[in-house]
Amino acid sequence: MRRLQVILVLLLSLLVYKGAFAAAGDQLRYLPVQNAGRIKPYDSFAKEMLEIVYGKSTFEGRAAPEIIFTWMLSPTAWEDKKIFEVRNHEVLKALQLPVDQRYFSGKEIFSNEHFQMVLQELQAKRESKEKLTPYFQALQRLENQLVIFREIAAGNMLQLIPPQEGTAWLSVAQFQGGQQQAFSDMTKAFVDHIGGIAQGVPASQQEQTAKALDEAVLKFREMAKANNPELYNNDTKVNLEVFYNNFHPFRWAYILYMLASVTILVVWTMNKPGLMKLGWVFAGCGFALHTFGFVIRMYLMDRAPVTNMYETVVWMSWGAVVFSAILEIIYKYRFIFFAGTLGGMVALIVADSAPAVLDPTLQPLEAVLRSNYWLTVHVMTITISYAAFFLAFVLGDIGLVYYIKGEEKNQDKIKAIANSVYRAMQIGVAFLAPGIILGGIWADYSWGRFWGWDPKETWALIALLGYLAVLHGRLGGWFRNFGMIAAGVVTFSLVIMAWYGVNFVLGAGLHSYGFGAGGVEYVAAFVAAHFLLVIYASLVRKKSTELVR
Amino acid sequence: MSHAADDRSNKVRRYLKSTIKFLASLKLAVIVIASIACVIAVGTFVEAKYDATAARKIVYESFWMYGVMGILAINLTAVMVDRWPWKARHTPFVLAHIGILILMFGAIITQKFGLDGSMYVKIGQSAQFVTVPETDILVYSSFDGDRYTKLAEMNVDFFKHPPTPEKPIVIPAYGGEIKFVEYKRYVLPSRKVVPPPDTNGRWGAGLRFQVQNANIKVNVIEWIVQRRPGYLESFNFGPAAMHLGPAPAVGRGANEIYFTPNAKDGVDYVVFQKDSEQPAKKGSLKEGDAFNPGWKMPIEVRVLRYLPQAKEEWDLQDRETPTPLTTSATKVIFNGQEQWILLGDTIKFFTNEAVYLVGYTNRKIDLGFPLQLKEFAIDRYQGVRKAMEYKSVVSVPNMDSHLISMNEPLKYNGLTFYQASFDEDPNTGQPVASVLSVNQDPGRWIKYLGSLIISLGIIMLFYFKQKTKKDKSS
Repeated sequence: MRRLQVILVLLLSLLVYKGAFAAAGDQLRYLPVQNAGRIKPYDSFAKEMLEIVYGKSTFEGRAAPEIIFTWMLSPTAWEDKKIFEVRNHEVLKALQLPVDQRYFSGKEIFSNEHFQMVLQELQAKRESKEKLTPYFQALQRLENQLVIFREIAAGNMLQLIPPQEGTAWLSVAQFQGGQQQAFSDMTKAFVDHIGGIAQGVPASQQEQTAKALDEAVLKFREMAKANNPELYNNDTKVNLEVFYNNFHPFRWAYILYMLASVTILVVWTMNKPGLMKLGWVFAGCGFALHTFGFVIRMYLMDRAPVTNMYETVVWMSWGAVVFSAILEIIYKYRFIFFAGTLGGMVALIVADSAPAVLDPTLQPLEAVLRSNYWLTVHVMTITISYAAFFLAFVLGDIGLVYYIKGEEKNQDKIKAIANSVYRAMQIGVAFLAPGIILGGIWADYSWGRFWGWDPKETWALIALLGYLAVLHGRLGGWFRNFGMIAAGVVTFSLVIMAWYGVNFVLGAGLHSYGFGAGGVEYVAAFVAAHFLLVIYASLVRKKSTELVR
Repeated sequence: MSHAADDRSNKVRRYLKSTIKFLASLKLAVIVIASIACVIAVGTFVEAKYDATAARKIVYESFWMYGVMGILAINLTAVMVDRWPWKARHTPFVLAHIGILILMFGAIITQKFGLDGSMYVKIGQSAQFVTVPETDILVYSSFDGDRYTKLAEMNVDFFKHPPTPEKPIVIPAYGGEIKFVEYKRYVLPSRKVVPPPDTNGRWGAGLRFQVQNANIKVNVIEWIVQRRPGYLESFNFGPAAMHLGPAPAVGRGANEIYFTPNAKDGVDYVVFQKDSEQPAKKGSLKEGDAFNPGWKMPIEVRVLRYLPQAKEEWDLQDRETPTPLTTSATKVIFNGQEQWILLGDTIKFFTNEAVYLVGYTNRKIDLGFPLQLKEFAIDRYQGVRKAMEYKSVVSVPNMDSHLISMNEPLKYNGLTFYQASFDEDPNTGQPVASVLSVNQDPGRWIKYLGSLIISLGIIMLFYFKQKTKKDKSS
């Protein structure tokens, strides 16, 4: 076992090591760019831009930093390439484009006779200040995609040199004299390198062009720094961010959680207690990486990373693992830790796979959310309570599986699960109630009202009331084992509504900084499937009790 | 006889006991908790469809909401009475429940006696009034058009209790009754200017002008309407100002044009120029005429429409749901004339002897002292328009200057001033005014006390659980 731990630790260090050092030709990714209110590496900029336009961070197997650079160098070469992702069928119908196609070229959209008309429609809708329907939101996205492509191609978007006066960095289109020279040297080296790779020149030559590109980039950086050294001092953060992009700490975390949950499942169902330690080691390493990723985001943005859906999902899954570990240490039921690592894994996979809904990019905060201690405490307390409810939900699911497999032979397990659901709910309520109160204190402190019936806070209260009703019902004896297990699953839909539904279904209220659209159908299907599972389990249970009679 | 009375009192006692048992029951608690959850869930959907005001009026301040909260209070009280005498292990339970009651009491105090309004202050200017959500109707009358006396002031909640032709709100005046007969929650108004129904000489002139330059970068089309004859009305659009009314002999050293109604159904104009007090150009115009004022920027000014006597009216389009452009409106009838008044607006009715001003506005509350906005600034994130911070520097009596920023309010005279928002010039994009929210909350400390007690109860719940567990195991 000791040897295994050593191997794992070595493996982890290797991962970190691999991410920390740049390969030849990679210097371009480390180039600082001013964009969306902060300094970020060109690597992040390129990925974000390609994701906005194309919906993915690579195009035909080529990495975003390369793609975005070529948009600028030869925009006409991209006219026929299908780089604009349009998913909304209504928009496609309005433009009379095939609905079974998802990607379109600039030519197909720009030269479309209906395009201008549709844009005018959007403008009229905006002027009426009415809420945008999904159709108009999709149109707005398309407009944004086109603007971004056009602005990058025109050299207006890529801001690379700090100004001598003011705060807005100079974009490529604004370069003069020596700046232009240094930039064109860099582009030449880039074209040589990319061209060489495309033609399949020998590796030694590729290495040479890569080196030349790195040198040109470094020269450009020196020149940029000389323009205003004070504004060009973000090396540590920029380097760390590229490392973070390459390393994907949360991806490694969920892989390790997966290993942990499989191991614990084996321990629990096949009764192999010797392996439990291995489960703890896997989970521990996953948790270390999870925390590591979280700390990096915190350091990069100088704030607690709980300001959008993506960040709260990451934080929530972290909490689920912590709570399950604590309950596991107390009760030693094993399936609690199985539920925690499984839940942590699923949440991180969801966070990683839906960038359009759960935006993983690092964004500066809205004015009302800045530098407020209470805000951080309030959001973290509420979302950590969701972690406990999520744990209760996963435990409830496991319980339902036992009911379906047969209540009689699994009595002791069901009882233990129901008890764990109850504990998890208690932890959740103990965090949610103070969290809501802290939210009131924050609102009072910064807006002057303790409670304003804002939908986000109201739904958090509804979730609390839901769990309070369940806990009181248990006290009154109406919720026994099956009741608690079913409630663990069903009541979590209130949390989903408070957390996701308010932003994506209701779309109103003061908490509007986190709003977006997307994924509603998947989430609704998820909730509906669990309701059906509960109904099915209760039917199976009824049948079996009838049989017993 | 005494036996019967005993029996009856026993019955009553039993009946009372079972009532208290029910009121204190867990069953009722679960029902009430679930009902509150349902009612407020409806509120959030109402808010998503309409707006926060509608949700407040229809749900959160409704009979249902108050009713179910009342039952909750009874339930909480009854369950504590039921457990009397309390033992040490009851502490968390009692604290959590008393905390909720205190919190609810604090909320009632806030609602009854608190102030929650907003204040719009232009940069460099002072303001003394806070606008609150409650609405009033106001009627003034005047015989000479200069001095007005208040005839009526009435608090109305048209959203919940709209006037109808069958049940109008009637305000008696000397010249007849002023009747509010209709109300619309959401209308999209557009202004129109028409010749008045009567030409009794009390209506001012109306001028629709267009300012345009050669490459159409500037194209302003606007109405200016005089409140009454001889009055000066202005329209300022940044680089220049247009006035309708008497022209002064010397200018203020800015680009300005004065249009003065003349006797020949047209206007005389006087042009002033930047950095000069003397009139730069004079002349007269009729409908359709255009001229070049001769400023540095080459523009053309055209009189699109001129009415020697003009009346402003609203064209209203009904909307099912509110948008930032909609407002509410009420219809008023006076001596057979009907007019719509938008919220925040005032209209005029004339009789041969008098003029009546009728207003429908949000209530304004006097602070008792002026608040001056000395400076307003927006900090932005580097290189973008996204705001990082809004800041107002204000001065109040005995406090020369104080910085109010997001999350950093000013406490003064029992009131708290928060940075809420700002207003910017649509043409220049520069901020012109700061919007502060003003708040007075006598229930605040009660709510905080309640919150503290609830939290204590929750913490103790875990403490006692551990303790009972230990006791059991030992």
